[in-house]
Amino acid sequence: MVLLFTAGCRAKVSESPIGPSVQLHAPLGLPPVPIPPDNPPTEATIALGKRLFYDIRLSKDNTLACATCHDPEHDFSDPHPISLGVGGAKGIRNAPTLINVAYQSSQFWDGRATSLEIQAASPIADPLEMNQTHKVSVSKLAKDPVYRKMFTDAFGSKDVTLGRVERSLASFERTILSGDSAFDRFQYGGQPTALTPAQARGLALFINPIKGNCAACHTITPQYALFTDGKFHNIGIGVNDDGTLKDAGRYHETTVKSDTGAFKTPTLRNIANTAPYMHDGSLQTLEQVVSFYAGQGNSNPYIDREIKTIHLDGQERSDLVEFLKSLTGKLPPNLEEEKSHP
Amino acid sequence: MTRFYSRLWLCLPFALVITGCKSSPPPPTAAPAKPAVSYFKVDPATAGSVSGKITFSGRPPARKVIDMSEDPACVAAHKGKAMEESIIVGNKSGLENVFVYIKSGLEGKNFETPTATVVINQGGCQFHPHIIGVQVDQPVEITNSDPVTHNIHPMAEINREWNHSQGPGDPPMHRKFVKQEIMIPVKCNIHSWMHAYIGVLNHPYFTVSKEDGSFTIANLPPGTYTLATWQEKLGTQEQQVTVAPGGQAVINFTYKGRS
Ligand code: HEC
Ligand code: HEC
Repeated sequence: MVLLFTAGCRAKVSESPIGPSVQLHAPLGLPPVPIPPDNPPTEATIALGKRLFYDIRLSKDNTLACATCHDPEHDFSDPHPISLGVGGAKGIRNAPTLINVAYQSSQFWDGRATSLEIQAASPIADPLEMNQTHKVSVSKLAKDPVYRKMFTDAFGSKDVTLGRVERSLASFERTILSGDSAFDRFQYGGQPTALTPAQARGLALFINPIKGNCAACHTITPQYALFTDGKFHNIGIGVNDDGTLKDAGRYHETTVKSDTGAFKTPTLRNIANTAPYMHDGSLQTLEQVVSFYAGQGNSNPYIDREIKTIHLDGQERSDLVEFLKSLTGKLPPNLEEEKSHP
Repeated sequence: MTRFYSRLWLCLPFALVITGCKSSPPPPTAAPAKPAVSYFKVDPATAGSVSGKITFSGRPPARKVIDMSEDPACVAAHKGKAMEESIIVGNKSGLENVFVYIKSGLEGKNFETPTATVVINQGGCQFHPHIIGVQVDQPVEITNSDPVTHNIHPMAEINREWNHSQGPGDPPMHRKFVKQEIMIPVKCNIHSWMHAYIGVLNHPYFTVSKEDGSFTIANLPPGTYTLATWQEKLGTQEQQVTVAPGGQAVINFTYKGRS
């Protein structure tokens, strides 16, 4: 009865943003930002999403915000190999950067969430992350007069609902965009001197199928570069001594055998600032990443064929590392936490 | 939950069909008790040995310096010149790093797997040791003492081929080789000059010749054996040898160089 009642209640509250939507500006090297028709970003939802993103009240013991693990100081990633949740609970994976998540057709390393809206609620209730039931989150937020005003501005009434929280967080996340890097100015901006000679050699290796072969998965198109194909690959991270895999990855979602140990190709934007690397945070430096690829991954029954064509000597490895450093773009202003005035 | 169960139901009929098809293997009767493996015990009263020297005749080829300059971290890690290891002629024309082992004569004897771990280290961007002997199933530990990422890639043909990268400070890897194989070439996919060879035998009678070309295989039951040598560039040789009870057989090998 109670359940039915709340469900009925939720349906009555509109979760559509009110007010004019804002155009999200895609910097050089990025395509237009995809926007779901039912959640156009507005000034008010972005501002609300930002406040929620930095709010420790979304965690059970008021210690963790989204920003704890997706730290703006580390370009929205986590310097811990494996993120720590409430009370130090150890998760199983490295927190990926939120840069350019707007473009991803699936979220999480294994792609288990199909949209940012769907994704946003799960860390809050995850016992290994913020560990707080949605009912508690909603009631904690509803007590704050600032939120009551912000929810009213964003959605037309002061009601705090999970759907509104999800939509606001997603709209804020869509503003975390990085492009216009040295690479973009070289590739799309007609500035041939934007890359150093070593970086330009690195780019050539990056797209050469019998050298780096990186672009086979970290896609670069003639118009823009997201550095991900949005697909799942096993590149041989987390292989045990007996050739089995520590984390089944995409297999959890599909139960297709060949997806065992496959993870979503991550973006490489701002990669120099988001160490450590890989789904388990097992590689500490870009040198280690590139050497790992030069070793052709760790063998296991499901390794992707594209890894086997990689051949990189010492000079080439160092050029590739230099190239990866050219992918750091300036993040837009206004992503940092607003210091509240007393 | 619902999703999980519906999948389970989908799977069940298939599982039945598959088991139905598998009619060839005999029905599982009471599992025959595995006969306890009885290991061969060497009688110390009659055990003997075979030893000797491996000589390189002719002018020893000059060892080349390995050019590690493409990876400056390797140059730094090596401290001093790194020498190529494929033919090392030492004191009095002794040939170092030859794998020496009993090739036949031990048939029908079962030897216990040693528990001692054989360590292969990657240091100064070379494998140490360069020639390695292990028994089937013996624990092998692989370590990296360099500040760079290495990749160990045993290109086995009888055992499973694998390759695995090991970053600086990574914990040791623990592996084993489950079948006899002479020799497994090992490379590092990252540093093209790094080579090692692993010989895997189902008995403990193998060794690697020392700097002066000498070798000894001890604790050998009396009998007649084929003793074989393997050198990565110069190839293999074989000789018959009879070890009398308590005897110390001596047998020498010579590899001819181009003079
Ligand atoms: C305790 C640390 C932690 C907290 C707090 C946290 N996250 Fe995450 N986040 C992670 C980890 C770890 C992953 C990867 C998990 C996986 O893929 O299985 C992740 C993944 C994501 C992704 C997917 C990114 C991608 O590229 O696939 C998004 C989006 C995200 N988090 C947003 C949020 C939001 C919004 C919040 C706050 C409501 C939040 N996170 C709170 C650790 C955290
Ligand atoms: C077969 C597809 C594929 C190819 C080819 C490939 N990658 Fe990746 N890359 C991935 C996947 C998938 C991951 C995540 C793997 C994991 O965590 O298990 C990844 C992870 C990375 C990361 C770490 C990103 C992070 O945020 O943790 C970097 C850096 C990287 N790749 C660079 C490269 C470079 C440089 C090359 C070329 C030498 C390359 N990749 C080739 C698919 C690929």
